[in-house]
Amino acid sequence: MKLAIHLAYKNLMGAGLRTWLNAGVLSFAFVFIIFYNGLIDGWNKQASIDSIHWEFGNGQLLHGAYDASNPFSIPDGHGILPKSAQANLTPILIRQATIYPQGRMMSVHLKGIDENQSVLKLPTHLLKKSTANIPVIMGTRMANTTNTRVGDEMLVRWRDNNGTYDATNVTVVGIFETNVPNVDVGQLWMSIDKLWEITNLGQHATMFIANEHYVHQNIPGWRFENQAYLLRELTEIINMKKTSGAILYILLLTLGLLAIFDTQVLSIFRRQKEIGTYIALGMTRWQVVRMFTAEGGMYSIFATILGALYGIPLLAYFSKTGIGFEITGDEFGIVMAERMYPVYGLRLIFGTLLLVVLSATIVSFLPARKISQMNPVEALKGKLQ
Amino acid sequence: MSEKIIQTENLVKRFPVGDGEFTALDDINLSFDKGEFAGIVGPSGSGKTTLLNIIGSLDSPSQGTATVMGKRISSLSHKEAAQLRNLHIGFIFQVYNLLPVYTVYENVEFVLLLQNRSAAERKKAVMEALEWVGIENLAHKKPSKLSGGEGQRVAIARAMVKRPELVLADEPTANLDAKNAHAILQTMKKLNEELKTTFLFSTHDEKVMAYMNRLIHLEDGKVAKDELVQAKTV
Repeated sequence: MKLAIHLAYKNLMGAGLRTWLNAGVLSFAFVFIIFYNGLIDGWNKQASIDSIHWEFGNGQLLHGAYDASNPFSIPDGHGILPKSAQANLTPILIRQATIYPQGRMMSVHLKGIDENQSVLKLPTHLLKKSTANIPVIMGTRMANTTNTRVGDEMLVRWRDNNGTYDATNVTVVGIFETNVPNVDVGQLWMSIDKLWEITNLGQHATMFIANEHYVHQNIPGWRFENQAYLLRELTEIINMKKTSGAILYILLLTLGLLAIFDTQVLSIFRRQKEIGTYIALGMTRWQVVRMFTAEGGMYSIFATILGALYGIPLLAYFSKTGIGFEITGDEFGIVMAERMYPVYGLRLIFGTLLLVVLSATIVSFLPARKISQMNPVEALKGKLQ
Repeated sequence: MSEKIIQTENLVKRFPVGDGEFTALDDINLSFDKGEFAGIVGPSGSGKTTLLNIIGSLDSPSQGTATVMGKRISSLSHKEAAQLRNLHIGFIFQVYNLLPVYTVYENVEFVLLLQNRSAAERKKAVMEALEWVGIENLAHKKPSKLSGGEGQRVAIARAMVKRPELVLADEPTANLDAKNAHAILQTMKKLNEELKTTFLFSTHDEKVMAYMNRLIHLEDGKVAKDELVQAKTV
């Protein structure tokens, strides 16, 4: 095999530009696969971290009657959790309400949260230091929709625990920026104490956010959803993206491999005399097959070197500066930053490298096998076989 | 007693042609001693190259036997045949068959790489072979930059570098002018005399025949005449 590699190297180097054209095409596929997967992995990592920091914490303890995907479960989906079970948990109470920004009517969720919390990145300290009667905070998306600025007041109407409507003005004391639309779109955040007060639902909570010290024990009437469970939808979306991306890079890889396959098939036709000469000089047919296969496999090594030359600086640049997207995930309700930072793991790089080397070697072997059936006399004459 | 290097007995080679067969060699009985400088001569299609290919273990007989250096060609596996060619037989082709991407040095070195010789051994042997044929100054040139005569000298150096017992030369001067043809033949004759290498030519060139000690005339695949002749001296 050492001899096959040695000879394959000499043949490829001797072939000059043809070698580097094939390696160039393959290297593009190689760099693109790493870039695309790195981007998806970066999105996955960023989206997971953002979701944990802004929405999920270390898991959520939900009232048994509350279903996050069913808004009709909000009115009754709350209860009181015994104080003894509330260690390392931050309560959130969700109520439906209507706001009237600039005379328009809009349904929202009023979310009461402990203003001293630190488990989520929500700037609840703004609620604490405000002197307004009912201070609220909202995300930039919500602020844009309602055309609201910090300091604006708006009318809010809600129903208390007896179903009686009540209304008052709230003051927007903070607008935060987040990649997580679930804590932004259609939501007003206020102190849970205020929400308890205006709804007469003292000590009630719809859910609790667990911090990293929380250890779950079964509590009747409540269910715990851990981080992995809460992130499952995001993981599913990202896996789906990976699959659709795979189609694209399989196409690219196929193009690169086709170039190698084509070169190999042509080589075997064009280099029949050379093949015959190798055999006449004392190589076995399988030694020649190995040499041609090694030539094909070596394209992938050259592609790696070439890809590394322009790929490393390019991928490192994107990894540092990120890639800006015109669209965000708001419309789809998914967590997606405006700039994404690709993440390239060793597994991704070496996995891709292995994939490219193996597939290039296989597509080289397929036409090279023909040599093992060649008649050396006919090959020496250069006759097509 | 002289050492028999090649022996053929009732050798027949047939090729399929359409629905029938074409007999390229018919009942060939020949033997060659070590150190011979012999030519198989005859017109095109008389079976010269076919006989050389069988002796060189590139092809096998349809009937009869061909024994080269004690090995019966028809019973050799691909691997054994390759080993026989690699270690004991040198080939010189009409169109040189140099490997185009290698330099002259690398072309000559190639057969030694197949023998897993050390780098130092290879270098010594290659330079010696290039000196034999007088092209040591062309060592780093690619075949495309060589003249016909130079190319054939490289082919001779490649055939000789491993010091084979037998060199098979198929129309080695067919693509050369008279001056180069003589020069090449003189080189081979000299190597034959100095190294006692057996040379077996296939040719229909009178210039080549003049250098032979023995001429085997083939006609329609049969030995028409096998004669010892007075060769031209170097």
